Amino acid sequence: MASVLSSFKYADSLAVLGISICTAFLCEGISWILIYRTSSYKSLRSSIDKASKKLEIMKTGDNKGGSNKKSKTKKIDRVETSLKESSRDLSLSKFKSGAVVALVLFVVFGLLNSLFEGKAVAKLPFSPAGFVQKMSHRGISGNDPTDCSMAFLSKDQLIWFSRRY
Amino acid sequence: MKEGKSVKFNLQPQNGRISPFKISKLLDPEASWDKDELGDVLHWIRQGVALVCGLLWGAVPFIGAIWIILFLLLSSGIIYGYYSIILKVDEEDFGGHGALLQEGLFASITVFLLVWILVYSLAHF
Repeated sequence: MASVLSSFKYADSLAVLGISICTAFLCEGISWILIYRTSSYKSLRSSIDKASKKLEIMKTGDNKGGSNKKSKTKKIDRVETSLKESSRDLSLSKFKSGAVVALVLFVVFGLLNSLFEGKAVAKLPFSPAGFVQKMSHRGISGNDPTDCSMAFLSKDQLIWFSRRY
Repeated sequence: MKEGKSVKFNLQPQNGRISPFKISKLLDPEASWDKDELGDVLHWIRQGVALVCGLLWGAVPFIGAIWIILFLLLSSGIIYGYYSIILKVDEEDFGGHGALLQEGLFASITVFLLVWILVYSLAHF
């Protein structure tokens, strides 16, 4: 297997992919341990979902017109306020895990940098625009704009894994 | 006048159970869709199209930034055709064409670029 992989000129791209996948799973695991399995998160999530659905139904009912518009508006305001408070509490609870994940990503990026600095880990099938080229050609010698550095590839992978939902 | 689909919000599970998502619903123009449900389906269709295009573009290989534009047009066309022709949903109930077309767009671009670059690099060098 190792000899097959080493026959590829850009086998390093697979190593970067593998490290990025492991990092993404690690970050998800940290988020799950620190946020998603806690009862406070589950109850906040459930109250936000209920409040959102209630609000949409109330607003749909409000558009159709009817009596007691003033009391309906007050009810809608109350539900919106409660929704905003729950959303704010949820954001605060995610902050702690966000800091740990950022630290892990910082360490992994440093590791990747030390392993692959100055090397072209992949070949781009296009010539990137100026500002993209600064990242894709980061740390690589030579003037070939299609040489791809670890920074561009790993950022691309980590962006997908973090935004897949 | 386009026939619209009503958006149903199921607060209570039916008969005490939440009905499972059925694969046949993906091709059923009579099915009613929840906003989040439709968004998820369109998101994952985009990721699938990005994966296939990345594999194909990298294998042939197609070279040049123009192929990124073509991928965007193709994937958006597939998504538009799916929700307007196959599902026949009224986009006004789901936030308009913009909201539906941007579901999963950014993630699909990263998938496409990643697969295209990897396949191109590994298959042709």
